[in-house]
Amino acid sequence: MIKYIVRRILQMIPVFIGVTIILFILRTPGVVGGDPVRMITGERAISETLYNQIVERYGLDEPFYVQYATYLNDLVHGDLGQSYQKSRPVTEILWDKFPNTLRLAIAAIIIEMFFGILAGIISAVKRYSFWDVLVTLSTSVLVSLPVFWLGMLLQLLFGLKFKEWGLPFLPISGMSSQRHPDIVHLILPSITLASVSTAYAARIMRSQLLEVMNQDYMRTAAAKGLSRGGVIWRHGMKNAMIPVVTYFGLDLGAMMGGTVLTETVFNWPGVGFEIFHAIGQRDWPVVMGATIIIVFIVMILNLLVDISYAFLDPRIRYGRQVT
Amino acid sequence: MMSYFTHRDEKRRQVALEAVSSTVVDGSGPEGPAGPEDALAGPARSLRADAIRRLKKNKLAVAGLIWIIIIILIAITADLWVPRWLGDPVAIDSTTAAERMLLSPSTEHPFGTDKLGRDVASRVIYGARVSLMVGVLAVAIAVILGLIMGALAAYYGGLWDAIIMRTADVFFAFPYILFAIVLIALLGPGFQNVFIAIGVLGWPSIARVFRSSILSVKENEYVDAARAMGASTRRILIRHIMPNAVAPIIVYATMSVGGAILTEAALSFLGMGVQPPDPSWGNMLNDAQSFMLTAPWMMIYPGVAILTTVLAFVLLGDGLRDALDVKLKE
Amino acid sequence: MAPLLEVDDLHMHFFTRDGVVKACDGVSFTLEAGRTLGVVGESGSGKSVTAMTIMRLIPEPPGKVVSGDIRFKGESILAMGEKEQRKLRGDRIAMIFQDPMTSLNPVYRVGQQIAEPLRLHKGMTRKESWAAAVELLDRVGIPQAEERARNYPHEFSGGMRQRAMIAMALACGPDILIADEPTTALDVTIQAQILELMQEIQQRTESAIIMITHDLGVVADMADHIMVMYAGKPVEYGPSDEVFYNPLHPYTWGLLESLPRHDVDDKGALCPINGQPPSLINLPPGCAFNPRCAYARPECLEAIPPLVEIENGHSSACLFAGDIDFICQFENRVKRGDAGTGAGE
Repeated sequence: MIKYIVRRILQMIPVFIGVTIILFILRTPGVVGGDPVRMITGERAISETLYNQIVERYGLDEPFYVQYATYLNDLVHGDLGQSYQKSRPVTEILWDKFPNTLRLAIAAIIIEMFFGILAGIISAVKRYSFWDVLVTLSTSVLVSLPVFWLGMLLQLLFGLKFKEWGLPFLPISGMSSQRHPDIVHLILPSITLASVSTAYAARIMRSQLLEVMNQDYMRTAAAKGLSRGGVIWRHGMKNAMIPVVTYFGLDLGAMMGGTVLTETVFNWPGVGFEIFHAIGQRDWPVVMGATIIIVFIVMILNLLVDISYAFLDPRIRYGRQVT
Repeated sequence: MMSYFTHRDEKRRQVALEAVSSTVVDGSGPEGPAGPEDALAGPARSLRADAIRRLKKNKLAVAGLIWIIIIILIAITADLWVPRWLGDPVAIDSTTAAERMLLSPSTEHPFGTDKLGRDVASRVIYGARVSLMVGVLAVAIAVILGLIMGALAAYYGGLWDAIIMRTADVFFAFPYILFAIVLIALLGPGFQNVFIAIGVLGWPSIARVFRSSILSVKENEYVDAARAMGASTRRILIRHIMPNAVAPIIVYATMSVGGAILTEAALSFLGMGVQPPDPSWGNMLNDAQSFMLTAPWMMIYPGVAILTTVLAFVLLGDGLRDALDVKLKE
Repeated sequence: MAPLLEVDDLHMHFFTRDGVVKACDGVSFTLEAGRTLGVVGESGSGKSVTAMTIMRLIPEPPGKVVSGDIRFKGESILAMGEKEQRKLRGDRIAMIFQDPMTSLNPVYRVGQQIAEPLRLHKGMTRKESWAAAVELLDRVGIPQAEERARNYPHEFSGGMRQRAMIAMALACGPDILIADEPTTALDVTIQAQILELMQEIQQRTESAIIMITHDLGVVADMADHIMVMYAGKPVEYGPSDEVFYNPLHPYTWGLLESLPRHDVDDKGALCPINGQPPSLINLPPGCAFNPRCAYARPECLEAIPPLVEIENGHSSACLFAGDIDFICQFENRVKRGDAGTGAGE
């Protein structure tokens, strides 16, 4: 088991290095085209002195491998550079915003877990019923739905229209306000973020449970005298949940990336929002720094998910020891 | 071959992929697979005929296909009739603009007009052009790259396999939308960069699917049987391996078109894709944000367009998956 | 005194899209404590379905008991409500299945799974049931039972898994043990061990056993009575000696003949019964066996022959039972009432 964990961590390293290489390549012009200085200053005219200053300051005239080495070195020391626009270290900016994104992501995962599992179970247990058809159809629809449009629709209905009709309405922008307690601000954005994932989660839960229900050990459990519900709950779920749990872990990572759209629609001051605006302001250190952090988090989450998978499935935890 | 993502990850991803693309209504499965004689005799031929028959039975898939064809036809012929009947999607008639702004849907403007007086229906139709083209081009790039890489990895194995698959792992480590955004941020906005970026992001998945189906088919018994019969490698490749390896690609590609359309919409929404005044469903939604209450039609129609088009591809992909009896498993 | 188990003209059909499958069509037998009934037949003969019907494990759509009754200690199981049936299952009537690899839940420890029926039916606590489970494992011959109980199923070998299944079935001391092909998935040497174990347990506990198998050799020693099934119907029933030495149905004869024999020098080929069992949806007219029967005559097509008692508790569903001179393929001699046609092991 320990061996397994160590092996996974070792496998992670080359991939992480690969990621840094890709990001480095992307942000270093010459590959992508354009003047490196222009990437920083934009299109406005600058004096030659300023040009040289910039080159000097950011080490832009040094050979690539030196720049990369500096970059990696900084990374390892936790230095993501300075924001071009805000003259604050990138790490500080992200540290500020990260908890907001985290809050949103966790709220979304909770919604997803609850509704996804519930819908999946009902769908599998009552196969071919009206409910099953409804779930499978709606999951297809949710998967095809643009997340940001869903956000806008929710804003329109529960925010603006409700207000217009004199009904109690939900906030559609920002994390807090005078009128609503903070937690109410979470509602619409987290539902939006969770929507597509809930569809996937329900599908996976359903297909896993269906597969499990066909297994012989379910028949054995019934032969022991367990009720139908008992068989499904005690014998079925434990097996079916393993891939579902791992899906949630992976999904949390995927959400980290997906928050960009939701945060933009709802003006939620998180990391995604920050990335978006940094792009608009050509603040590359922020963009790169935030991306690296997110990728790193995703990779750690994947690692944790793998470990938990080994933990949950006794066949992996204890290996094969048939005597 | 050691990959960052172990066999189990693969299985998990396959499980997730499987679950997502499982039939909308799990009805009767396709008829039993063709017997070994058929496989040796003419796998390509019997597969296709069988598959088409099964596909026809799936009503949702057929509906999706029909809708796609309709949209394609409308988009292709747009220049002929849209500007005349509905109004120009881009040009603004400044003299009448003020009175034509933000009109609600009517016979003259079935989807209403937007903030600059442009006919929304017309823009939605031209936006369809953008979406379809991005979808097809992006997936084409991804498929070509993916097939090449996947074939190289599967055929040569060893170091090539390791390098290619590890590179794919690096791509997988990025959350998709984020990667797309960062890529576009650096390449610059615009229609061309969008489909290039989406295509480039797409090759690892296709390479992986292709590689694994080649590998699994290679080991399959009927290839041994064919070889025992004295068939040459090339013949085996063409008549036995290819048809089976290609099936999952077809399914995956179809569903990827839907994904590409969604990604393009997201990028355009963020202002990084198709630039105004050219219409794209995404940037139309962006415009609509300020007018949600006053002109909800600006927001509804483009969104519905995205939803129905992507859904059509998803359903078609589902149907193809069942018709070709693809398990998308290793 | 009512017999332990009485199955009375049981008809259980499946109603599917493609037609009605008469999986169990007119099965009757009685079972007494301490006795063993061997149910023999090919796949699809309905033997497993009959057992599952007794356990009430067949889902009611698409299956349905069309007529007949099953009585346990005089009381009709079919008339019982779901809850009462569940009380019997695992407690008074227990079942073990064919494939021990897949019949045990991979995510629970073996000990837990054995303890489960005890907690369910006897209300034991976790501690009590665990201790009982360890003891059961020991009794079925698993060494180091204490440690082994903590293992997961994948850490057991095939034979051990089946022993664990037996332990699980015996946990509550059932009156009847139904074993559905318990040795089919196991090696030959292990097979013998498992059968021995079952016999030993039966002697100790006086429980009745229904042994379902396609292999006559398995029931040769164990069974007191044998019921041969074909296409959902019993075609022969009687005391096992009678059935073995004096078969009254061509199908039984075919099964006996097809057993590999080591007492014959002849290096001739094995004699299988030609053909396939019929599809239960499209049964041939008349006797279901007639397309494969070497002794078929025109009368066999007219109507389905009923199971009729021929002599001392020995019934057959062949119209010509007792009149046929079965021809032994090996030695081309007429074999009838000839001691020495004993089945191989």
